[in-house]
Amino acid sequence: MKCEFDKGIITDYLSNQLSEEERLQFESHLKECAECKEELEAQQHLWKLMGESTVPAYSSRLDNLDPFVIEPVRKDSRSWLQVAAVFILVVAGFAAGYIIRRPAVPVVDNSYKMQVDSLSAQMHDMREMMMLSLLENPSASERIRAVSYTSEINTANDKVVEALLTTLNNDANVNVRLMTLNALMHYTDNPAVREGLVQSIVNQESPLVQSAMADAMLKMQEKKAVPSLKKLLEQKKINTQVKIKIEHTISRLI
Amino acid sequence: MLRVKNGDLRKMDLLFKRHRDALFAFLFRMTGQREASEDMTQNVFYRMIRSRHTFTGSGEFKTWMFHLARNVLKDHYRINSRYGRLADISDYDERIESDSQSQGPVEKKEQLELLQTAIQSLSTEDREIIILSRFHELKYHQVAQIMDMSVAAVKTRMHRSVAQLKNMFLKSGKHEM
Repeated sequence: MKCEFDKGIITDYLSNQLSEEERLQFESHLKECAECKEELEAQQHLWKLMGESTVPAYSSRLDNLDPFVIEPVRKDSRSWLQVAAVFILVVAGFAAGYIIRRPAVPVVDNSYKMQVDSLSAQMHDMREMMMLSLLENPSASERIRAVSYTSEINTANDKVVEALLTTLNNDANVNVRLMTLNALMHYTDNPAVREGLVQSIVNQESPLVQSAMADAMLKMQEKKAVPSLKKLLEQKKINTQVKIKIEHTISRLI
Repeated sequence: MLRVKNGDLRKMDLLFKRHRDALFAFLFRMTGQREASEDMTQNVFYRMIRSRHTFTGSGEFKTWMFHLARNVLKDHYRINSRYGRLADISDYDERIESDSQSQGPVEKKEQLELLQTAIQSLSTEDREIIILSRFHELKYHQVAQIMDMSVAAVKTRMHRSVAQLKNMFLKSGKHEM
């Protein structure tokens, strides 16, 4: 028996994409078409089996949202400005409130401009301070958050760079270290950063981080990394895939 | 003084609590990594707060959320590159071990393993589409929005993925229920 329906409609049927009318139409067709019936059974088997796959429970340690972040602030795309504003409000009072309340109003008064500039500087310092303290947080996801905030600090000063390098070398969590490497890659025009990254190579034991560092060195075309990479190869427990990658990277750098 | 967008943020908090498990499930099904998925779930939430001005009606919350989740996933893949697979496999092995201690029928366990492998072998985008469609009750047009694709493209990929998965099963002779 020739059937004008293509198999795709069965998938649409199972995933509940059909309109009421289409569904009824298809169901009545099913009664007459052995081919479609067979295909439906096969897809249904697959569909049911998929439904049996499980997902682990979300850790309850992460249940509560950070109340700090939830502080009511104005609608603005720069979240650090919002967060810092809460502090500054307590300290600076009205001036902060006025400034924050002006989404698109140009500053006409010169004294306000000065206040804005000084507050901007204060907010920048505050942002930095928060980020540095958050880097010490016991929760890995908080530390990751701290690292990701460095992308909002345009010119990283020595303090931030040092903190990031320390995290890269010492953080217990692989994901934190990976995020840190990622963040540091934004500052590779800074020679201290490049040096720090090269020095960090031999400290890394995780294959994920090792391979990410090899990629980073290649991206930076950092020939000074070669001795450190060679040293990594001497590690006893080195993962084969990573070994190949490092050898490849070395050959590309020399 | 300060214009408080209190209502806005509380609502978002509620929405997040309601959708958190679904978000985590999506990320976990994509990566197979539990801790990374938990961290990414948090990350999506922070992005939601940061860019909440881009969110309009509450009816589109799910699509907006998954759209952000995909971006977070992309960053995750960038950092972890191909070597992310190493972690995938070891997480997976752990689960198989604990499964073998359970009382479930061996054949079912094998089928689930095979399915897992088959799904992992799909391209990232095809995998996203099938997960969104199968587990999150999203219509094709919603998936299309999340994926930045046309509805036709989503449909085609969906049909193709299902055919691929089905064939993998038939080939290995595990078709019998």
